[in-house]
Amino acid sequence: MRIIIYTLLIFMIVSLVQAHDYVPGKIQDHPILLRGGTVYTVSDGIKENSDVLFNDGRIVDIGENIIVPENTEIINVTGKHIYPGLIAAYSYIGLVEIGSVRATNDRREIGTINPNILAHIAYNPDSEIIPSVRSNGITTALIVPGGRLITGTSSLLNLDGWTWEDATEKLNVGMHLIWPAVKAVKGYDDKRSLEEIKKELRENREVLYEAFDDAKVYYLAQQADASIKKDLRWDAMVPVFDKEIPVFIQANDYRQIDQAVQFSKDYDFNMILVGGRDAWMCPELLKDNKIPVIVAWTQALPGREDDGYDLRYSLPARLYEAGVKFCMAQAGGGWSRNLPFQAGQAIAFGLPKEEALRALTLSVAEILDVDQNLGSLEVGKKATIIVSDGDIFDILTHKIIYEFIEGKKVDLNNKHKELYEKYRQKSL
Amino acid sequence: MHGVFKFRKIGQAVIGLLCTALLYSVCLGGTTPVLGIRDKTPDARAFINGHMVISPTEQFDNGILIIKDGKVLEIGTGIKIPDGITIIDLAGKSIYPAFIEPFGDYGIIDHRDKKQNKYGKPVYTADRIGGNAWNEAIHAEINWSRFFKPDNETSNELLSQGFAISQSAKQDGIFRGRSCVVLLGDGLPNDLILNSQSAHFISFSKGKSVQDYPSSLMGSIALIRQTLFDIEWYNQAHTAYKYNPAQKMPEFNSAIEALSNISTDRIIIDAGVKSPGLLRAKSLLDEFGLTASVIASGREYCHINDVKEFASKLILPLDFPEMPEINTFADELDVTLAQLRHWESAPSNAMVLEQNDVKFSFTTYRLKKKETFLTNLRKAVKRGLSEETALASLTITPAEICGIGDLAGTLETGKLANFFICDGNIFNEKCEIYSVWTAGKKHELKALPKTLFAGKYELKVGDDKLMLELSGKPSKLTGKVKRDEWSSDLKKFDIDRNKIRFSTPIDSGKNAVTIRFSGRKDKKFITGRCVYANGLEANWQAIRVSELKPDTSVKDARKPEAFFAATTYPNKAFGPQDLPDQKDILIKNATVWTAEQDGILKNTDILIEDGKFVRIGTEIKAPSGIMVIDAGGKHVTPGIIDAHSHLAIAGDVNEGTHAVTPEVRIGDVVNPEQVNIYRQLAGGVTACLSLHGSANPIGGQCQVIKLRWGANAEEMKDKQAAEIIKFALGENVKQSNWGEKYRTRYPQSRLGVEAIMRDVFQAALEYEQDWKKFNALSKKDKKRTIPPHKNIGLDAMVKVLNSDMMVHCHSYMQAEALMLMRLAEEYGFVIDVLIHNLEGYKVADEMVKHGAGTTTFSDWWAYKFEVYDAIPYNASLMAERGVLTTVKSDNIDLARRLNQEAAKVIHYGGISPEEAIKMITINAAIQLGMEKYTGSIAPGKDADFVIWNDYPLSSYAKAEQTWIEGRKYFDIESDKTIRKEIKKERNKLIQKIVEHSAKNGTK
Repeated sequence: MRIIIYTLLIFMIVSLVQAHDYVPGKIQDHPILLRGGTVYTVSDGIKENSDVLFNDGRIVDIGENIIVPENTEIINVTGKHIYPGLIAAYSYIGLVEIGSVRATNDRREIGTINPNILAHIAYNPDSEIIPSVRSNGITTALIVPGGRLITGTSSLLNLDGWTWEDATEKLNVGMHLIWPAVKAVKGYDDKRSLEEIKKELRENREVLYEAFDDAKVYYLAQQADASIKKDLRWDAMVPVFDKEIPVFIQANDYRQIDQAVQFSKDYDFNMILVGGRDAWMCPELLKDNKIPVIVAWTQALPGREDDGYDLRYSLPARLYEAGVKFCMAQAGGGWSRNLPFQAGQAIAFGLPKEEALRALTLSVAEILDVDQNLGSLEVGKKATIIVSDGDIFDILTHKIIYEFIEGKKVDLNNKHKELYEKYRQKSL
Repeated sequence: MHGVFKFRKIGQAVIGLLCTALLYSVCLGGTTPVLGIRDKTPDARAFINGHMVISPTEQFDNGILIIKDGKVLEIGTGIKIPDGITIIDLAGKSIYPAFIEPFGDYGIIDHRDKKQNKYGKPVYTADRIGGNAWNEAIHAEINWSRFFKPDNETSNELLSQGFAISQSAKQDGIFRGRSCVVLLGDGLPNDLILNSQSAHFISFSKGKSVQDYPSSLMGSIALIRQTLFDIEWYNQAHTAYKYNPAQKMPEFNSAIEALSNISTDRIIIDAGVKSPGLLRAKSLLDEFGLTASVIASGREYCHINDVKEFASKLILPLDFPEMPEINTFADELDVTLAQLRHWESAPSNAMVLEQNDVKFSFTTYRLKKKETFLTNLRKAVKRGLSEETALASLTITPAEICGIGDLAGTLETGKLANFFICDGNIFNEKCEIYSVWTAGKKHELKALPKTLFAGKYELKVGDDKLMLELSGKPSKLTGKVKRDEWSSDLKKFDIDRNKIRFSTPIDSGKNAVTIRFSGRKDKKFITGRCVYANGLEANWQAIRVSELKPDTSVKDARKPEAFFAATTYPNKAFGPQDLPDQKDILIKNATVWTAEQDGILKNTDILIEDGKFVRIGTEIKAPSGIMVIDAGGKHVTPGIIDAHSHLAIAGDVNEGTHAVTPEVRIGDVVNPEQVNIYRQLAGGVTACLSLHGSANPIGGQCQVIKLRWGANAEEMKDKQAAEIIKFALGENVKQSNWGEKYRTRYPQSRLGVEAIMRDVFQAALEYEQDWKKFNALSKKDKKRTIPPHKNIGLDAMVKVLNSDMMVHCHSYMQAEALMLMRLAEEYGFVIDVLIHNLEGYKVADEMVKHGAGTTTFSDWWAYKFEVYDAIPYNASLMAERGVLTTVKSDNIDLARRLNQEAAKVIHYGGISPEEAIKMITINAAIQLGMEKYTGSIAPGKDADFVIWNDYPLSSYAKAEQTWIEGRKYFDIESDKTIRKEIKKERNKLIQKIVEHSAKNGTK
């Protein structure tokens, strides 16, 4: 009897735990065919009524009436839309659970020169945020450390996995830098004078220059003699000077962008601009220096009083027309689930639909240098695929019905759906 | 008002002996003993030959002014000067009545301790000493004359600009105390104070008070309002107590007592620099039937029609904005069209006020350097302000404002001998002041040239006669000799006191030789010797035949300086020139989202007349002359109503200091000048509820506005809508995320939130009963009975208890929502709307039963613990259960995409589009008490609507036109034109700056 009770208890506990978590998809052990959908390949146009076959986590074939191996699981997706998984190009998913609860917030370290910080090591794969974002078609996310000035390196993780290791798509994608503000603005309750703020801004720039100077000194010394004592900070910068990884510089104001580009030339590294609110003012500067832009915060108020109301909505379209390489990001945690809708707004304000899709898939993959595996539906690429009931960019039609990450079937359930189901059953 | 004035006759003359006692003043002495030898130097002077400006409307040449005992003894022409009076010759000079500074802090020593809130911890109470007010920013009891001591530095600054008098008080606090009116210059304060109890100074800024309350502009206004009611109560209570001392003795309050005659005393209000401040002051004054002088913002020209309505006088600072520095492209980025325009237009403000018959007085207040006052004054005159008004605004108007109209402001017999001497027209750029006289006492700025050479002379050299002309400033004379058509400039020309020398030929032609002259001037004559080239000497003489007059009448030659900045209201980018016209319209062939029972109608026409929907149907014939909009392929929805916004609020959104602040009102601080109003119109928003924040359990009263961009604050308010108060629960009100400093305010837990709310409800209940009892008394008994203390916060709470004021309560978790509904039920009212209510889906049935509606975010979550269970199915689940549901923004940016927020409710919860559109239109109208006249497309309702290019809930939809009451406030096509114009105007103004800097440097 006692055993039965214990068993029952254990069973209850187990089921409780299960009720609050979602089991990562199993490694693909049989071929899967998505049959009869509209395939948005991104790299090779839109294919109506096409099939996508994938096995061992990779796309095997795309086309009409594909002949499949015997053990293939066939999923009929007639009339549905098949896209590559969407990539959140800049996020803090998994680092922050509840913004205002300190214990659940691991987004930023103290100090301003933290190149040796690694974002992925605090990534909580059991974060409730992850399934909520995933169920809107975001399969992959760049996890970026926050803070001031040099914040550390980011990693690209799949939004399904047992551990961060298991979720890894690519570690150490790039170094992150937040360019100091150029315009002295007094914040709420700010006790500093405007002069003090200006001085601080100048000093911040000096700090950056000094850090890069020191890092370069170290780099040259280390190149000559690999056995010198290891400075963890500057050692993390070595791949930057080797141009193995780019530096993501967050800058919005034209002057910040201008300074940052100059900085990248002074220290000879590959730069990716993040934010880029004023990037439309200097397309040539960006193109000449081959700097791609991760456009963030396009659903926001214009930066200046005299700006048109839609200046930020239309930023992606402006960059596209100017021929600047760009992708789009939501630059948030849970907010990233609105990424497709943000792109929808950009479409309404002039960005061609196929470019919007590219800006959330292949362009991101190219900018993060993972396009050999991700970003488009191509034979040989990873089977990271979403299937939607309708157009994913329109809130009204967006409805993810299947999601695969490297061929693994992703659970589309989340905390929200469960609470919804629970309280629908409430009666008094 | 003049009755208040008390003139101190210290050591001053007795009026009435003017004619007889010309030389011997009757020295009455003072209370201060003289140490050493008494100074009895006669102070009488006569000024002659000057151009005398005695008032803004009267001036004459060759005037005589006699002063004595600090007063004007006589002024005019052809006056006999008594013997023995020292005469000062002002030939070529002008005399003006000295200026009066109506608002400043000259000479005021702050006696109070300099307090500093070192630890930044909140301070909830004031030091209570001597029966002072509860709030540190109220110190109406201070008579600032008690702390007046002449201050040479500031005095000299003011004197240098022609001032002789200042009205002074410490510019600190809300009820600042009473000002004094003082003479400038050195001396015993006893001799300088002209009016020891002048005006009450009031402001909207609490100044250096370390007490937290009030932290917001609306808090300041509420505090003033409550204090004005306190005066009434205090007077009544003490009167009643005198009649019937058997009652509880009412409190003594020194501040309130000092204000007890405020209805007849003079008042000056500093309403701050934000443009609608003046109107805020006006509303407040009107409420209490008070009049006051108000410090102007300098932007009155932007909304002159509102300012015109203002009956009282303005006090106008001349702090024109500095020219924006523009050297690089990047510099342009930080400068707004509003800044550019104001830089160009600000000097014209006074002219615009004059043209609109607004009476005003100038002040040096807000000038960083008082030395720039005259320069700026002249800029204003250059822009077309008449000299007459300019002078009145410096003399008689400020004299009235200071309550010394019978003592100063003009040069008339019996008035103070306050004047200045200058070399010409004071409004001319180059005019310099020699000396300022305060009550007959001279303050020299620059020595008056002893001998005046300027004039036309008949020059006799030997027997030869020709003309000599000396002209220009005394310090920089130039001269020439003339014979018929021929003339020659004097060389080596030099004047030293009364000596003169120069060289010049006196003949034309090749043989003309240069002759060296030297001489001395005595009255009209210059006599001396001259030396010819050959060494021969001769006598010469010059007789002055006419004086050169001071340069006083250049007014006609002066054309108002042109400028081209546009003026709109608000005076910034996208501000409209005028309000849009109300139009009768027929919209044809639209897909109409009625937000009514009949849902979405295809191929439908809408007829709009007089700002209302008249008919909705098919094939409506266009009445003749009506504007027809072909909306084929387009969609029309009701205007979006945002049930939770903080749009158009000046100052802090929270009076987040006290836990209970029902006395504050967003309605007091509506700011119609935010460009975001326009941007929201571009997102289809036509109305919103501007809410107080959620920093305290009982917040403030909210304001429903319609987004009538271009209207003023009063016009923007929707006065038909419900009165609504904000309550709040949870983490914000218990200060969970406010940091370590905030651990002392009750409540700190959800437990205390209920307790304090209950306490307030109970207090309101008993307050209402007290008033009912009092009001039932006979007239006679009322006089003998101390009335209940009127509390404007409790007044609002009584309305809540009686369901005359709606309650919108910020709430997140289910427990607190349930608590509040049950508590309200105990007190017999309904919580109309639960705001956010992200766990509302857990208590939807309870809400329906209680009668609570909700306004919620579509998909926000996880930003704090209390929203960890928030789900994007919240709105749909609540709606399914029958809760009146809306989605809202609570965010200036998000408000522009409420159509997408409604679409998210469909995306997650699968409701119908007909229901979704209601969540941002009619349901919100119901929640704000506007459903009878807006919120849906139905005959008889206000024509508040949006025309969309696409299915309105789609991500691809854009609002093309936004209309309110048949007026088009946004049009996507006109918007493009406006942007081009903004660019053009910016470029023009920037070019002006660039050229100006190239010429003059960056000053």
